[in-house]
Amino acid sequence: MSKTIPFLILVAAAWSARAADLHPPSEATAGNSISILTSGSGKATFYLIGPASVIKRQVQAGSDIAVDGDDLQNSGRYIAILCGSDGCGSSPFLVNPAAPNRLSLQVHPSRVPVASVNGISVVAFVFDNFHNLALRSPPVKFSILPKDEKPVSADRPVENGVAWVRLTSARKQGTTEIGAAIGHADEIRVVQQVAAEACNLRIHANRDKNGFLVETDPVRDCSGNPVPDGTVVSFTMSDAVGKTTVDVPIKRGVAKIAMPIKGRARISAASGVVTGNELEVGG
Amino acid sequence: MSAASRYSVLALAFAGLLCAVAVLYLRVSASNEVPRVEFSADNIGPRPVEDLTRQHIPRDYALAWQTMEQALEENRPDLLDAYFTGFAKEDLTKRVNRQIGAGMHVRYQDRGHKLEGIFYAPAGDAMELRDRAQVDLQIYDGGKVIYDEPIDTQYIVLMTPGADRWLVRKLQAVGGEKP
Repeated sequence: MSKTIPFLILVAAAWSARAADLHPPSEATAGNSISILTSGSGKATFYLIGPASVIKRQVQAGSDIAVDGDDLQNSGRYIAILCGSDGCGSSPFLVNPAAPNRLSLQVHPSRVPVASVNGISVVAFVFDNFHNLALRSPPVKFSILPKDEKPVSADRPVENGVAWVRLTSARKQGTTEIGAAIGHADEIRVVQQVAAEACNLRIHANRDKNGFLVETDPVRDCSGNPVPDGTVVSFTMSDAVGKTTVDVPIKRGVAKIAMPIKGRARISAASGVVTGNELEVGG
Repeated sequence: MSAASRYSVLALAFAGLLCAVAVLYLRVSASNEVPRVEFSADNIGPRPVEDLTRQHIPRDYALAWQTMEQALEENRPDLLDAYFTGFAKEDLTKRVNRQIGAGMHVRYQDRGHKLEGIFYAPAGDAMELRDRAQVDLQIYDGGKVIYDEPIDTQYIVLMTPGADRWLVRKLQAVGGEKP
């Protein structure tokens, strides 16, 4: 008899420990309601701690606890806890992202020189409706929608919620649209393709009343696009006195400067890393 | 009992008290220590990681965890401003505010992170990482501990560069031994 009573106490203690047991599903989907089974009896406090939520409410142990989808919108680790008068029991579970339906599209740079090989980086982060990274997703469809030309598109796989592609800019300057699509999401960014560095810089000179007027031919890049106004062309004059360099911005497609030259002189021009022809004037 | 025995018992009791105080102190000060982060970028792509970025990522990620642990322990959402942005900051701020509403807080004992770079955007403006985090987690309702377990969780992390540091933009648990 003296050994039976402690045994019964142990059994009762074990029973009361079980009283706080709860059994959530091992996995759930973001935004979907779940029901958590509990055992035991009497009043208890239910807690649910998630990535962005903390729930605390009074429940009846032994009944099922309904958790609304609104409280399970964040994908990640949740801990369900049930505390009765005899202690607490807990059970963790994972909430997985819902179906992919949103995109965060990053396109860099926003201005790119023409014919720039792999010069445009396009990265799409794939999310579900609740901003969870969708780690399992069908491919993302990337599209290039140039003005006055046929659109081009290609699928790229999503790994760990990310799909990406590198693009070469067109040979003709102007805007182009770059898009990405998945589910109901369709994002578009605009990239401005601008003329690249000047190419085949050529200058010519004409006498004027004070010396020479030195002028470039229309300055274009290697694809034939006019280099934007404001791009600097450096004119260098070497004569018996020494060397003089003058920076001149392009206006209406050409750069020009009046140079007071006495005697013989050599004139050259450069823009960026490109040098043009050399003239010998005077005499 | 002899005087020597009495002194021995007293000394033992005092030593035990010191140990208890030390254990309590270590727990309390856990959030003040920067967690240990082992960073590997051996399999990252498509952009190779620059030397400076290789140093900054584990440093800033460790500081992000430190501030997160402190914010969740002290219920101070303002601490999240330093190393979190975007959805990560929104979610954690919501969680701290709900903790405040429920009269709860949590305490982490951080046992370290194995952080692996898995994607570095070609333009260098985003990095995705996988973290295996090992922490001891205590959940408090008021002053009462309602949960106390070691947990081992895997996270997918999205970090983006800020003015002088990398910020955590997304921190999403994806599994683990005890998810």
